[in-house]
Amino acid sequence: MSNAQATEQSERILKQLVNEGKPILGYVYPHTPLEIIMAHGLMPALLYANPTVMGSYEASLQTFACSFIRNMFSQRVNDQLPYVNGIVFPGNTCDSLQNLADIWHLRFPQDKVFRLTYPAGNQGEAAVQYFAEELRIFSNALEDAYGSPFSDATFRQAVDLVQQFRSAVQFLYAARLLQPSSVPYHRIAAFVREFHSAPLEMVVDELRATVNDVEHGLAEAGRIDSTKALQHALLERRLEDVSLPSDLPTPRIAIVGGMTEPQAIAELVNAISKVSSTAVVFDLLSFGFKTIFMPMPAFEGDPFETMARSVLGALLEPTQEGLPRRLDFLKDALTHLAIDGLIVCEQSFCDPDEFESPSLLTVASEVGVRTVRLPVDPEFSDRVRLEGRIQSFLETLTHGGAA
Amino acid sequence: MSEKVKEEKAYRVLESHNFLQRVMFRYMLEGHAASEEGKLAWVTSGFPVEIPVAMDVGVSYPEQYGAIVGSEKAGPKLCEYAEELGYSQELCSYARASIGSVKHPEESPLEGLPAPQALLACNNICGTVLRWYDAISQMTGAPVFLLDTPPLEGEQMPHHIAYVRHGLDNLVSFLSKQFGTTLEEDKFRKVTDLSTETIGIWTQCLEACKNKPSPLNCADRFLAMAPVVAIRGRDYTLEYYQTLLNEVNDRVANGLGAIRDEKVRLLWDNIPPWFRVFRIMGSLAKRGVVFPADTYTHAWTGSIKGEDRMDSIASMYSNVYLNKGLEAKVDKMCNLIKNYDLDGFVMFSVRSCKRYSLGQLVSKELVSERTGVPGVVIEGDMVDSRLQNDAQIETRLDALLEMLL
Ligand code: SF4
Ligand code: SF4
Repeated sequence: MSNAQATEQSERILKQLVNEGKPILGYVYPHTPLEIIMAHGLMPALLYANPTVMGSYEASLQTFACSFIRNMFSQRVNDQLPYVNGIVFPGNTCDSLQNLADIWHLRFPQDKVFRLTYPAGNQGEAAVQYFAEELRIFSNALEDAYGSPFSDATFRQAVDLVQQFRSAVQFLYAARLLQPSSVPYHRIAAFVREFHSAPLEMVVDELRATVNDVEHGLAEAGRIDSTKALQHALLERRLEDVSLPSDLPTPRIAIVGGMTEPQAIAELVNAISKVSSTAVVFDLLSFGFKTIFMPMPAFEGDPFETMARSVLGALLEPTQEGLPRRLDFLKDALTHLAIDGLIVCEQSFCDPDEFESPSLLTVASEVGVRTVRLPVDPEFSDRVRLEGRIQSFLETLTHGGAA
Repeated sequence: MSEKVKEEKAYRVLESHNFLQRVMFRYMLEGHAASEEGKLAWVTSGFPVEIPVAMDVGVSYPEQYGAIVGSEKAGPKLCEYAEELGYSQELCSYARASIGSVKHPEESPLEGLPAPQALLACNNICGTVLRWYDAISQMTGAPVFLLDTPPLEGEQMPHHIAYVRHGLDNLVSFLSKQFGTTLEEDKFRKVTDLSTETIGIWTQCLEACKNKPSPLNCADRFLAMAPVVAIRGRDYTLEYYQTLLNEVNDRVANGLGAIRDEKVRLLWDNIPPWFRVFRIMGSLAKRGVVFPADTYTHAWTGSIKGEDRMDSIASMYSNVYLNKGLEAKVDKMCNLIKNYDLDGFVMFSVRSCKRYSLGQLVSKELVSERTGVPGVVIEGDMVDSRLQNDAQIETRLDALLEMLL
């Protein structure tokens, strides 16, 4: 499915849900607690940058706003977010989103705008307590705005559904790393996108069917157990004991970056005829690996505290831990997952991406992994050049030479 | 003869300026000495510096150094060094200048800041500081301590205070471990008292600008703010501000303005373009334009008081200007315009500072609507002159002044 088709499909689903009377709450940050939103009977829908949107932000945002928030804001100005009944913005993650929420609120006072503020840095238990309270406040705000109180039973169902989804996609990630031919990267990316657009049982059903097929393929090669072990190792962030088969197809590419959309990247790479379908084996993207490998919230205890622990246990978010831990994990991943090349995506005017990428490149070169830097925007406005860069990067990996 | 030339300038130079230079020189020497002893921390401008100061840890301010880099017109060169390391030109130019100066101290004004043994970041001004200090840590090996003060919407809630308070306790442990020092209650009280008194006198200097003519222009304040940003909690800083206040009060008593012929009173919003600010202010002064208030220098206000100084710090440092929403910024600007009887405002949109700048297009409309005075947005940068188009700025300022003069 192409990016445009995926957008159309999620709009169709949202429209149907709206017709059924379900309020849709849009969100933009990967670690938004879907389970809390669902516990209020609302449908959380990830708001994606729309590559076809016309820029209509100039009256409210300067040109140095990051490409993602320009795109989001333009969608709102152009009335391209018709099914969304409210938006939750994150607080304390990046300066652009922090300010966008304020601007949105002032420009569109009739919109329901919520802000959920996250702790930054590695603050331990104090952060859990702080964030649990923020979640409680957020939940109260949802109840006030929509008149639907938090339901324990619905929360448990939501936790269960989200966990089924995550654990199945985690398995696919591990399978892709061990046997890249078992599942295409764009298929994983499509599931991530579909579920985040509308976390519905039907997506999980479809995912289960795919996992079954993949399991068959892995069973034939006797790799079910090693896939599960790798899934566990990724969750635990302990990769030193990972052992990979010796006959892995090369090159093996990983993609890293912040809010770059996995499906969009997958589509970009797929469009390059010379790229082998087994090449992209791993990502460290926010709406990919980082969101999927979030620990499951406990069923027992205070739901807000349990959710806070889960969200703050997510891996590798710039807001939640310092750079050294992220670099250590990248180094481990590149080394133990036998990565040959790293594509470093940078959204234009994105502080988190642009600050991090020099360090990512340094780490990769320290462990002898070749890199290419890809400045992207949601519109992929210079698509031909991006494809050219990826293609020549792959050629250097295959034939040697300078990257 | 030289007296006569001075008399003819549109701008009155502050006598206390020499004192300011001595204070800043001493601060620089103290920084070098602390670094040599292995006891220097770099701190962000909104960091509760009273704690490291009370624990005998020396401090240096990369943002203040950024202002020096800008004024010395070394911004493009140092920023380019950071860009050579892969840091995008779109990133905060204070950060780029500091990364560039760490890479090439020999090419930097004052040969760069003295080497740090710790990096203390507080994100009450922006989220950029954490990433910037992470980058410096990669280059210098100094560990980063982040004091997290999540942005506030409305009143600070008890769980927010408790969280920040916990961060302050962690800070004390971090400094104790890193520098083998302790926080003694007596010294802490003395430093916080000095800091509060200093901020109090600084606030009086700012408020004196409600007078007509205004005794200070914003370029005066941009210079005079350096110690209140960088050296709060020292007796010599307090002495400097006392001297400044005396001079300001003299000016008010004698009806002397910062500029000789005050016709138009404006508000300045945001960090100034350090490499051009005196030229811009000088040429506006000739046309009778003064800036009695600005949002930047008014950001260092508040007081640390009460029995529990840590709680007071948790509250004061969470409530700084940049840690509040756009609505609070609009309120602040409207209040300044009203209280200082201003005729209009200039918003400097700093290309590389998103936190301060994104939203200015909306706040400009709101401030004009609420106060009835006109404003203009001009775009540029505080350090990197490559990001600024002077001709465009001039045209926009002319358009504003046409409405007012
Ligand atoms: S693309 Fe970067 S700057 Fe923009 S909203 Fe995402 S993290 Fe923030
Ligand atoms: S981004 Fe802005 S607020 Fe942050 S350090 Fe740079 S200039 Fe200061």
